Amino acid sequence: MDYLAEKFLKAKKIPSTACSGCGLGQVHKKVLMAIDELGLGSADVVWGTGIGCAGRQTFNTWKGDNFAGTHGRVYALATGLRLALQPEQKIVLTVGDGDAFGIGLLHLLHCIRRNVDMTVIVADNFGYQSTGGQYGYTTPSGSITDSSPYGMQDPNWVQDGRDILDILKSAGAGFLARHTSVEGQNAVESIKQAINFKGFSLVHIVYPCVTNFFGKALGSRKPVDAYRWLKERTNPAQDNLEGITFTTGVYHKALDKRQEFSEQMRKFTGNVQKRCQS
Amino acid sequence: MKRLFDTGNAAITEAAIFAGCKLFSGYPITPATEIAENMSRRLPQVGGFYVQAEDELAALHICIGGSLGGLKAMTSTSGPGYILFADPYGWALGSEIPVVIVNAQRVGPVSGITGAPGQGEFYLSRYPTHGGNFESIVLAPSSVQEAFQLTVEAFYLAERFRMPITVLADQIVTDGWETLLIPETEAEIQAMGLRVAPRQVNYGPEFYPATDEIDVPPVVLGHNTGAACSDWTPTAEGFDTEEVEWQHKHAYRLIYKVRNNRNVITQYEEFGLEDNPDVIFVAYGSPARVVKSAVQAAREQGLKVGGIRLISIWPFPDEVFHRTAKYLSVELNYDGQLVREVQRAVPKDSDVHFLGRCGELPKVAELVDAARTLINGQALQAIKWEREAW
Ligand code: SF4
Repeated sequence: MDYLAEKFLKAKKIPSTACSGCGLGQVHKKVLMAIDELGLGSADVVWGTGIGCAGRQTFNTWKGDNFAGTHGRVYALATGLRLALQPEQKIVLTVGDGDAFGIGLLHLLHCIRRNVDMTVIVADNFGYQSTGGQYGYTTPSGSITDSSPYGMQDPNWVQDGRDILDILKSAGAGFLARHTSVEGQNAVESIKQAINFKGFSLVHIVYPCVTNFFGKALGSRKPVDAYRWLKERTNPAQDNLEGITFTTGVYHKALDKRQEFSEQMRKFTGNVQKRCQS
Repeated sequence: MKRLFDTGNAAITEAAIFAGCKLFSGYPITPATEIAENMSRRLPQVGGFYVQAEDELAALHICIGGSLGGLKAMTSTSGPGYILFADPYGWALGSEIPVVIVNAQRVGPVSGITGAPGQGEFYLSRYPTHGGNFESIVLAPSSVQEAFQLTVEAFYLAERFRMPITVLADQIVTDGWETLLIPETEAEIQAMGLRVAPRQVNYGPEFYPATDEIDVPPVVLGHNTGAACSDWTPTAEGFDTEEVEWQHKHAYRLIYKVRNNRNVITQYEEFGLEDNPDVIFVAYGSPARVVKSAVQAAREQGLKVGGIRLISIWPFPDEVFHRTAKYLSVELNYDGQLVREVQRAVPKDSDVHFLGRCGELPKVAELVDAARTLINGQALQAIKWEREAW
């Protein structure tokens, strides 16, 4: 991380305030590696976040320009920002699973419908962890959390035949991928593809929260146990594994490119102006 | 000078274009919908963007996102949408991002009567978000022409104070048809007293000065300044902090940049106050026009009556209420909102009374009768659910 940190991160934000052993650093590092390998610099990327662990820990770490929106609304904020930025400037958002698949899902879907050029990295720690560990929309069913002391019985977005990425695909997302934080270059490659994708892209990355989720649901705060648990369930080969698994890799890449939102808006405005002048 | 016969909604649209607005995002709602419709037609003509949002939360977030990137932006709504702005309003306020918000007030609470005027968001416009530690700026037009003037002014104040500004109109102002003059030459702009402030870029490294200064350029992203904008308490450079000392500095700035620069904001109109009248009507928005006529009618009948019309309502202009008199707050609601501030601001030996109507304006004769009753030392006839004396 040192080389990447020095190159891309604000010194005041190192070390991160995440709990020691938290997997969020692995996610953050993969995004920086992707940016580095794409040859991008601080002027090329505006970095946005929401709140919660993913927002709090990544906000204003980026040396370039940063913002953190209110919980779940950052996609709408980025939609407005997209219209103001240069088309070649990238917007990268690091948000949590609650921000993306709970409170912000409506805005996320409309952002996808409009095909706003941005890359959303959903850093998924299986629930609300910065508030102490309540279940969320990707919490494995049956998990013991602070708000599911008898085991989570509320259906989530990723089990029983549902996959939130299906919904995002149906809404029109052009690029979707899923990974876990214990993966290596394959995850970085997906993030690179996402950042390079002109239009809406999203990479869902599952990572271990040692303090709350693993501490309560699995009964161990030891990072090695958490990482082992995740590794055993990480399934890049798309094998037929039993139980909770995370099938990883590129989930969907559209062949027909839909017109990007701000590009289309500029073209539309230009045409109206021409029509009015003639 | 362009001379039109049009609505307040049209005036607000043209004012925004005049002030350099390049982004409108809104959600349809009566009686503000025509602002959105007009914007969808007008903005592309001037190279701007119209985005119909999925809800009001998104509408204001899209606006502040655009503003964060350097575009002047505006949204419009009515009460049920204004309450949903609480979340992005707070963000813009704390991050000091300029944006203009129009609220065409109707009868409430909630959906109420969509096509009738109300004045139910007087206090909500003072506290349109949670958390305290801030002052808000609110301007209240009472005519189509003033809707134009004050919308231009709202964009101007938004830039200078780096914050969201509310234009608090009502359905009579937004739906009403009147003559609308739009200046075309520099001399006409000057004569109308219109002020336009261009968008500047803050290059840091200090983005959040711990002072009460205005005219500090707002943060604009995309210039690689390392700027940071968030809803967390910022340090001078925008780092999120849990330190109470920075919270004090932040609160000081958000409160006192407004309080200490009130001279840039405060506007009101006084009529018939020269001879220290017995009764002083107080109103803002469309009821203030009935009040003005009532003052004239009362004077013709030999009653010593005057009036105060508030044009800027927050920060509240306490200084206007220095005369001892019987004050009568005339409002488009039955619970009395403005009256509470009047009661707070007047000299101790004054009486404060309330006359509320809802969905329709009070009549001139009613107000003259009320003035006579008060001058005679009698109690006003109150509707059953009203409380007359304050
Ligand atoms: S609470 Fe969990 S997710 Fe949040 S920083 Fe700590 S370990 Fe990481």
